[in-house]
Amino acid sequence: MTAYLIRRVITSIVVLIGVSIVIFFLLHTIYPSPAQDVLGAKATNAAVNAWNKANGFDRPWILQYLSYIGNALHGNLGYSYKLNQSVAALFRERWARSFYLSGMSLLLSVLLAIPLGIYQAVRRNSLSDNAMTTVAFILYAMPVFFLALILIQAFALSLHIFSYEASQSTSVWAVMADWHAMTLPIATLTLISVAGYSRYMRSSAMDALAQDYIKAARAKGLPERLVLFRHLVRNACLPMVTLIGLSIPVLLAGNLITEQVFNYQGLGLLFYNSLGNVDYDVLIAYTLIGATLVIVGNLVADIALTVADPRIRLA
Amino acid sequence: MRPFARTGAKAAILAVVGATALAACGSSPSGGNSVQLTPNGAFGKVPAAAPFGHAGTITVAEPPGATPTWIFPVTPGANGSVYTAYSFQAEMWRYLYMFPDGAQIQENKPMSLASDPVWSNGDKTVTVTMKNWKWSDGQPITAADAEFFVDLTKAAVKVSPADYSQYVPGVGIPDQVVSMSTPNSRTLVMNLNKAVNPTWFFENELAGITPLPAQAWARASANGPILDFTNPANALKIYNFLAAQSKSTGTYASNPLWQVVDGPYKLTSFNNTTGAYTMAPNTSYSGPHAPTMSTLQAVPFTSDTAEFNAIKSGSIDQGYLPFTDLPQVNSIESTYNVFGYPGFGFSYVTYNFKDTTGDFNNIIKQLYFRQAFAHLEDEQGYIKAFFHGAGGQDFGPVPQVPPSPYTPANAKTNPYPFSVSTAASILKAHGWTVNPGGTDVCSKPGTASNECGSGIPAGTKLAFNLIWNTSPAIIGQQITDLVDQAKKVGINITLKSDNFNHMIATYYDVAQPKNDNLWAMEDFGGFSIASYPTMNGIFNSTGTYDIGGYANPEADKLIAASTTSSNPAAVKAEAAYLTQQQPSLFQPSVDNIEVWKKTISGPPASFESLTQYQLSPEFWYFTK
Repeated sequence: MTAYLIRRVITSIVVLIGVSIVIFFLLHTIYPSPAQDVLGAKATNAAVNAWNKANGFDRPWILQYLSYIGNALHGNLGYSYKLNQSVAALFRERWARSFYLSGMSLLLSVLLAIPLGIYQAVRRNSLSDNAMTTVAFILYAMPVFFLALILIQAFALSLHIFSYEASQSTSVWAVMADWHAMTLPIATLTLISVAGYSRYMRSSAMDALAQDYIKAARAKGLPERLVLFRHLVRNACLPMVTLIGLSIPVLLAGNLITEQVFNYQGLGLLFYNSLGNVDYDVLIAYTLIGATLVIVGNLVADIALTVADPRIRLA
Repeated sequence: MRPFARTGAKAAILAVVGATALAACGSSPSGGNSVQLTPNGAFGKVPAAAPFGHAGTITVAEPPGATPTWIFPVTPGANGSVYTAYSFQAEMWRYLYMFPDGAQIQENKPMSLASDPVWSNGDKTVTVTMKNWKWSDGQPITAADAEFFVDLTKAAVKVSPADYSQYVPGVGIPDQVVSMSTPNSRTLVMNLNKAVNPTWFFENELAGITPLPAQAWARASANGPILDFTNPANALKIYNFLAAQSKSTGTYASNPLWQVVDGPYKLTSFNNTTGAYTMAPNTSYSGPHAPTMSTLQAVPFTSDTAEFNAIKSGSIDQGYLPFTDLPQVNSIESTYNVFGYPGFGFSYVTYNFKDTTGDFNNIIKQLYFRQAFAHLEDEQGYIKAFFHGAGGQDFGPVPQVPPSPYTPANAKTNPYPFSVSTAASILKAHGWTVNPGGTDVCSKPGTASNECGSGIPAGTKLAFNLIWNTSPAIIGQQITDLVDQAKKVGINITLKSDNFNHMIATYYDVAQPKNDNLWAMEDFGGFSIASYPTMNGIFNSTGTYDIGGYANPEADKLIAASTTSSNPAAVKAEAAYLTQQQPSLFQPSVDNIEVWKKTISGPPASFESLTQYQLSPEFWYFTK
């Protein structure tokens, strides 16, 4: 296990370096320097050249890359000329908000999807299974913004139960405490996610139910409750482990549409606005962090899978 | 001037050289200076002012992406925006001369900090006399404070031309100012390097001056001594200090520098993550305002959808109606007043006069072709079908609405009204074989009046491309109809969709001449323009924003006259010529639609000016 972990970590670092080089190269090719945006359209070539020289953008891209990585390893992710703040500060202000919104919805999705999927598998083709499948398909097919608008109209503007917008506090503790404001955005993401996850869970549980060990458990007279909890759940959850692992990047990437509709300042919105503003340093930092999280998510999923299923050998 | 992607809301970028202002109402808010707006272009109406009830906290919507990132009024291009200039900084520091007056593009004299300038020395010297207004620290606003601003802009552009967003090298303030003097505390004498058009310099240059509190800001460190800012070395130190303070967005509300204001408000809180801020009334404000001013609370939004949800819930007092939500206007009319009017500017399809593909450069330089093409545009139809009635027709660079004293006669009625048959007749009369539904072909090459024109050989086809901005959707709707109408007269246009940033970065003769043969026409949006609407920079051959490489010696001459001659009608002559010449296809302007609660009132002009991007909550109050 330890040897496997070391190998995986080393491999992940190599992959991460490769990904960062590719990302940096691509961004550099498309957008060699932010000089024109910083200096404005009226800036002369001389002014642009002077700015590039002063800020190191006149050097070969590989040297710029090495400088960037060196700075990043020391916590310096660059500076947003548009927002007049360091990129690290911008991320610090937002990551916890995005993490809470996405994390809470992910957690609720999993907690709802697992029993739902199992229930549907056990009662497959029943009226309740078909009804839940229909609802799941509707939610799965529904655009996030549309579901969000429906929930806002129904529960905020018509029934006045919840707020039409997410919490505006910049303290994550205050955000977490503000259920009145956070229920609808979390519910939106949860409903969309649970629709997909429950389908995976149902399918996985149906496969597991057909396995010999389930039949054996039933044959030896175990109560159905124990069959399900002791033998089915753990095995049926294996695909979910992978799914959850792959969802880790989403925790920080933010959910752009939800953040937009619910007026929530998170990382997704920061990235979107940075795209519009061509905010170079924010874009590259966000992309690199996203790539890191994908790799970490994969690693975590693989490790979690081995923990959940000892039959899987790590070699 | 800057290009913008048209939107129905306030997101448009605006860089007006002149300042903007509101109608004066004195201390009696019911005496508002309501203007008579033309019905063309107006959506909804502004009710008369109701009796004053009480002050309170007025919440206003801050549009998506408008978070201020600069507080110091000498603003770099990277941090400048219409919102920062006219809804954030302008609440704290006022312009020397305030424009517009409600929705009328003219000076609002009672709101200005100085009397109108007096010219001498053959229009090379201008004298400005300050009014007796005061800073919030009780000190008088002096001529030296206006001089301080100019000296700081000089220092800023020495650091980088981009450090003053309104800077045009060699033109206007600060480059044309060779010397300044203050013979007394209220008089500023400014000597220029050459004679200028007084109206242009007044409206577009002097009006951009923001007097700054030299008694508090002319220092190089927080606790340093007050320096002589007329010394350029000191001015540079002061500029660097103030710019550094302005970069510290987290200290905007706590930094004592920014508490010395001459506008109606002082910043009391600012959240640099969300952009939310609160401003308290400046009790020393010398200008006209409501009997008791209300606190201002700006509420940021991440999208138009979020903002409209807030309106539907009735949780903000003043906001905007996103254009896409216009069909839902009935759902809010019981709670909110609604008024829309176009911002001062124009939308257009840019022609590329440098595109040699299929001899398009030679085709587009023919006036008859541009006129025929203009006949294919159904402006009234667009407003009715695509704008839901919320828009105004524009026929030239100076729009028909909002009212401007510089709108030429030929821009008040459509010189090239929609008529497919007229377009076809013009083409036939100039040697083209018109193939409705197909592609026209030049059958009479030559330069005679009944021939295709110089550089257009026989067999040349009327087929070219048009690149259009997908946001907002009304651009695509108009372009699609235009292409359909063009097809009826055998003009074959290939459409390609794109986005604003990529278009400006790619299809731009001045910046990217290597791409000239990639595009024949493009529609990225348009321009917001200054109150004195010269097209200097847009349609002169050396203009920074001459995107399609339009070059016309007569236009150059008229544009130059607008900034250098003493003729006050020069800019009108310029606009008349450009309207006749159609250097681009001018399109109707969509309204900026503003909403405010029916429990809020004030002088009508203070609400009308919202459509011109000007926020003036100092006039507003609660009616009950």
